[in-house]
Amino acid sequence: MSTQRLATVLMGALPILFVLAIWQALCSFGFAPPSLLPPPGKVFLRLAQQLGSLGFLDDILATMIRLFAGFLIAVVLGVGIGLAAAVVPAINAVVRPLVQVLAPLPKVALYPALIILFGFDHASKITLVTLDALFPILLSTYYGASMVEQKLVWSALAAGTPRWQILFKVIAPAALPSILTGCRIGLVISCIVVFLAEMISSTDGLGHLLVGAARTFQTVDMFVPLITISLLGLMLNGLLYGLRKYLLRGFPEV
Amino acid sequence: MTSARNIIATLSPLLACLGLLAVWQVVALWLDTESFPTAWHALQTVPQILGDPEQLLNILDSIRRMVIGFSLAVLISIPLGLAMGRSARVSAFFNPLLMMIYPVPKAALMPIIMLWLGVGDASKTLVIFLGVSLPVIYHSFQGAKAVEEKMLWSGAAMGLNGLQRMLRIVLPAALPEILTGCRTGLVLALITMVTSEMIARQSGAGNILFNAMDMAQYDTVFAMIIIIGALGIVLDAAFDKLRWRLVKWAEPHQEILLGAS
Repeated sequence: MSTQRLATVLMGALPILFVLAIWQALCSFGFAPPSLLPPPGKVFLRLAQQLGSLGFLDDILATMIRLFAGFLIAVVLGVGIGLAAAVVPAINAVVRPLVQVLAPLPKVALYPALIILFGFDHASKITLVTLDALFPILLSTYYGASMVEQKLVWSALAAGTPRWQILFKVIAPAALPSILTGCRIGLVISCIVVFLAEMISSTDGLGHLLVGAARTFQTVDMFVPLITISLLGLMLNGLLYGLRKYLLRGFPEV
Repeated sequence: MTSARNIIATLSPLLACLGLLAVWQVVALWLDTESFPTAWHALQTVPQILGDPEQLLNILDSIRRMVIGFSLAVLISIPLGLAMGRSARVSAFFNPLLMMIYPVPKAALMPIIMLWLGVGDASKTLVIFLGVSLPVIYHSFQGAKAVEEKMLWSGAAMGLNGLQRMLRIVLPAALPEILTGCRTGLVLALITMVTSEMIARQSGAGNILFNAMDMAQYDTVFAMIIIIGALGIVLDAAFDKLRWRLVKWAEPHQEILLGAS
């Protein structure tokens, strides 16, 4: 079993190493001038250097504050509205058409309006992240909750659970896998959007670093924020996966 | 009874639109600043933009790039996703790499890709292609993985070879899930389209939007937001119709817009 696991891990590492090797080869055989594609060693060295500098850590912190604030607001709103819409038909009648209209809207296009309304600081970026992460979470909560078997609700009622507790004791736990799936998609989208918002208008954050480096053609510095956001996304994804494993212990399939 | 319900179902998104516009109007009147025009003003600017041949051409350019990038991504991602779903080896090979690329904002690659391919169509189409392909690969992967083993066995027993089984069993069975991925991809294509044009200010809808923003032409900004938003809603609705035709037989629970891991 463990050798099989090892083989799977090695197999997965192959294409990543392959990409790195091609990257290195392009540089060392002179196909790409270093001003257009810096060698990977240089980029990772620069990343290590930057991680030691306070300014860079400040930028990461700014990005993470926006990311977490936006994402958490989206989780609270998405799960709340999703559950409410699944349980109360009247709320459903209002929420459904609104979601139908707002979900396919490209939210980045709203960003200029958000800047005008909320200014250039944290608020406009957090709002954009919330808007973009909200709908996947809301929709999967809604479908998860409306898919709960009626029998479960009946048995809980028969066992003497008060009506108002059904939501928290039966429906929310039963919808949990679906909710967590939605959160994962919301998280990936949050990573993407916070970076874009910082690229459009910002004075700090990883996206701002990329734009600054692009304006001065510092190619090495352009790759560093990109790799950082990718690693950040991977780490958060891993954390969420761990949380999912923990919360869903005892569920038939994770 | 059913027809009345149908009418309500078709009218309700329209009512939602009107409601949102009304809220906008009220907020704008209440704030009463020049930088936040009323919904009515913005709507009046829409025909001006669409009537200007240059602007219209710009927007059509955007749509062309999006269609090309989207189609290429779908054509390549579906076979890859299906192969990953049916073969543990292929999925073990590609999965970690794809997991690493997924959280990278594709439009953020724009400045780098611009250095290689220039500011023209090629780099923007490539970025849209990258943005669309990941969700499509993922959903095709999940869809193909969930196909019942028994159906494949029956197919094999009836003499279908590997390729035929892929085309006649796995593809139709995974289709609802694949289409869910395509819908997510469509939304992402629009987002990447706008942002790529925002970064490479050369042509397109995003270019008009953010140039107007920089020049403080707020009527144009909000009119462009309406146009891009309408584009998103119309494309999504059209895609939903197509999906409905293709997978009428599947249960309606597949409508999770950005769903499935």
